[in-house]
Amino acid sequence: MSKQYLAGHRLDQAHPTNIFCLAPTPTALISASGASSLLIHKTTEPTFPLQQRIPNAHPLGCHHVCTARGGPGKVAASVGFGCEVKVWRCKDDGEWELWWQLPEDKTARDVWAVALSADEAYLACSMSTGQVQVWDLTTRERVQTYETGNNINQQSFGMAVDLSRDGKLTASGHQNGSVYVFNNHSGRRAYSLSGLIQPIRAVAFSPGCKLLAAAGTAGIIAIYDMEHGEQVANLAAPGTNAAWITSLDWNETGEFLLCGSIDGKIRVWDVTRSVCVATHSETEDTLWSVRWLPKTPGMKGEWFCAAGVSKTITFYREATGT
Amino acid sequence: MSLRSRFPSPGALEQNTPLYRNSAAPRQSSITVISSNQLQAEAVARIEAILESVLDAIHNRTDLVIPYRSIRSSSVSEKPEDGFVRFPGRTAQEAKRFEALFRIIELSHEALISGHLITKRNIYYQNVDLFKSQSVVDEMVDTLAYTLGLGRGDLNIVAAAKGLISGPIDLIMRGGETIRCTQPADGLLLPMIQTIEKVDLYEAEWLLVIEKEATFRTLAAGRYHSMSAAGTGILITAKGFPDLATRRFLYALQSARPELRMYALVDFDPHGIAILRTYRYGSKRLDHEIESKVPSLRWLGIRSGDVLARDRPESGQDGQLPDSQSSQESVSFSQEESEGPRPYKRVRTQEARDPDDSVLYLTENDRKKAIDLMTDICQYELDNYALEQLQELQRMLMLGIKAEIQAVDDFGNLAKWLDKRLKPA
Repeated sequence: MSKQYLAGHRLDQAHPTNIFCLAPTPTALISASGASSLLIHKTTEPTFPLQQRIPNAHPLGCHHVCTARGGPGKVAASVGFGCEVKVWRCKDDGEWELWWQLPEDKTARDVWAVALSADEAYLACSMSTGQVQVWDLTTRERVQTYETGNNINQQSFGMAVDLSRDGKLTASGHQNGSVYVFNNHSGRRAYSLSGLIQPIRAVAFSPGCKLLAAAGTAGIIAIYDMEHGEQVANLAAPGTNAAWITSLDWNETGEFLLCGSIDGKIRVWDVTRSVCVATHSETEDTLWSVRWLPKTPGMKGEWFCAAGVSKTITFYREATGT
Repeated sequence: MSLRSRFPSPGALEQNTPLYRNSAAPRQSSITVISSNQLQAEAVARIEAILESVLDAIHNRTDLVIPYRSIRSSSVSEKPEDGFVRFPGRTAQEAKRFEALFRIIELSHEALISGHLITKRNIYYQNVDLFKSQSVVDEMVDTLAYTLGLGRGDLNIVAAAKGLISGPIDLIMRGGETIRCTQPADGLLLPMIQTIEKVDLYEAEWLLVIEKEATFRTLAAGRYHSMSAAGTGILITAKGFPDLATRRFLYALQSARPELRMYALVDFDPHGIAILRTYRYGSKRLDHEIESKVPSLRWLGIRSGDVLARDRPESGQDGQLPDSQSSQESVSFSQEESEGPRPYKRVRTQEARDPDDSVLYLTENDRKKAIDLMTDICQYELDNYALEQLQELQRMLMLGIKAEIQAVDDFGNLAKWLDKRLKPA
């Protein structure tokens, strides 16, 4: 059985350059691009109007922005090409403001990807040095520093990171293809997962924290079970040239996995059956980010969005009621 | 007040003299006259003024002083004594510096009077003990030129030739000799611009500057300049980072023949984009060298799209497997491929070769360099060219890869890729 999604709305040329990252809250979508502003689009209205522009957030452009999946949507974190890491918060009136910035010393200068815990209390960062750090947002202190690889020299660029919604686990994906899972409570490495060899560009915990999905240059998605650290599935599109996967996202129920790739294709996978239930190829331009939108009262059905080189944000909705 | 402003700007001087001797004639012949340098006389005058002041100082038994303004000092806070080198000076070191600088001025004067060129290398070997290292000479020559408000070439001081040229054009030298740029087959050492009187471009429609010497030699040996589907053209390489001589040659051709389409082919890495920017906008250190920027130079590639396109099926046969071998394994990386200089005269053969040898991960240094370049680009207002450079650097960082020119060649055959892109837009 396949699912149908329809292109519901497009924000053409939302940014003047490549859109590198999208991060939804229950009521808004934050988009980051090669330009210096962050944009916040309202997701409670069908035309996704621009709610706020944060100018000069990152002078050299912004490559990562994150919000807490399943969280209240009051905090966001963004990383600029100039290496600055900024933590934003949403005031009661809905306007976003800079909360604080990670120190620009050697420790935080190497941050590449970021992820927030569901309670918006912790920020996980993958570093270009290969380290993974966890910061406590309220005390503004670094609470964990995880080493990856077997020794310092084996550490590989941390291209992707995620925190499980229960806050227990941190996962990181690296340029050399390795995936690590750390237990935040014990401060120890839980699993070292192998299998993809090539650069990992996205890692994502399922909402129930039972599974971890990892994907990247290999063009296939590996699903790992978090109870034993074993690979339980391999999602590979049949009969096609496997393009690099740049972005992964689980839907709210944990049934479906959204994936975007460098050839512009979007796929929705039914994880339990390991089948691709929907493919979209409206563009040949590289997609940098795909995200499900949390359900909002005003919008019928499930929605997701995608953006990349085309500078356009495309919103898709589930075809329902037929 | 800057010393430089005491002298009329070189541009102002040139307005009195026609830049090109045949500039009035409509361009019917394919011969292009290279502007003869008008500033040598000025250089002689300025140098003689310094020499006279030194003589006066000896006569009056006061300190000997040579103006010497560091290129970088304009931005940092200046100490009052900056801008001059004195003899005997306060330290033995300063006395030595004076001696070295005086020697360079003397050699430049000699070269100017006799009408010869002297290389920086040659200056160094005139007195190895005095100069200690080649870089001291290089630095002093450029600082002296900057202080005098002139270019290095105006002092008749040049760097040893580095650039190579190949194509069915003639260089007519000031001595009357005519050099055909098809010999030797894999590239002719580009003569100093000061020694060239005219260039006969014949039918040349385009000019391609290539970062990599190996790629240049392959194309030159294959006579791509004459065989291209895009028409006849000229191939040039400065073997990596461009030297002043090559940049000035391009500048001269650009000003004499604005309709000649000029392209740059550089690696998809921060270094390649830095090279492109140096050709287009000049370098920071040699910003005072005026006739060396080629803003009309177009970026032919390679860009992220060229690198990624290799992994896609050809458009039109969507959903089909492109080649049996380009499955998901098609992008494997090799960290081993060294960045070092390639062996001289290495000609790329058409043997089977893994095309992905030329795609590598960015190193920490590459990332730093990319960020420095982006910072530099963002200092100015972004036009479309700058925006494109910025975007490609951002994509490079996102993808985490860099690629050499060879990444787009079809097992050693770059011609097909070039044919499509060298055609007029």
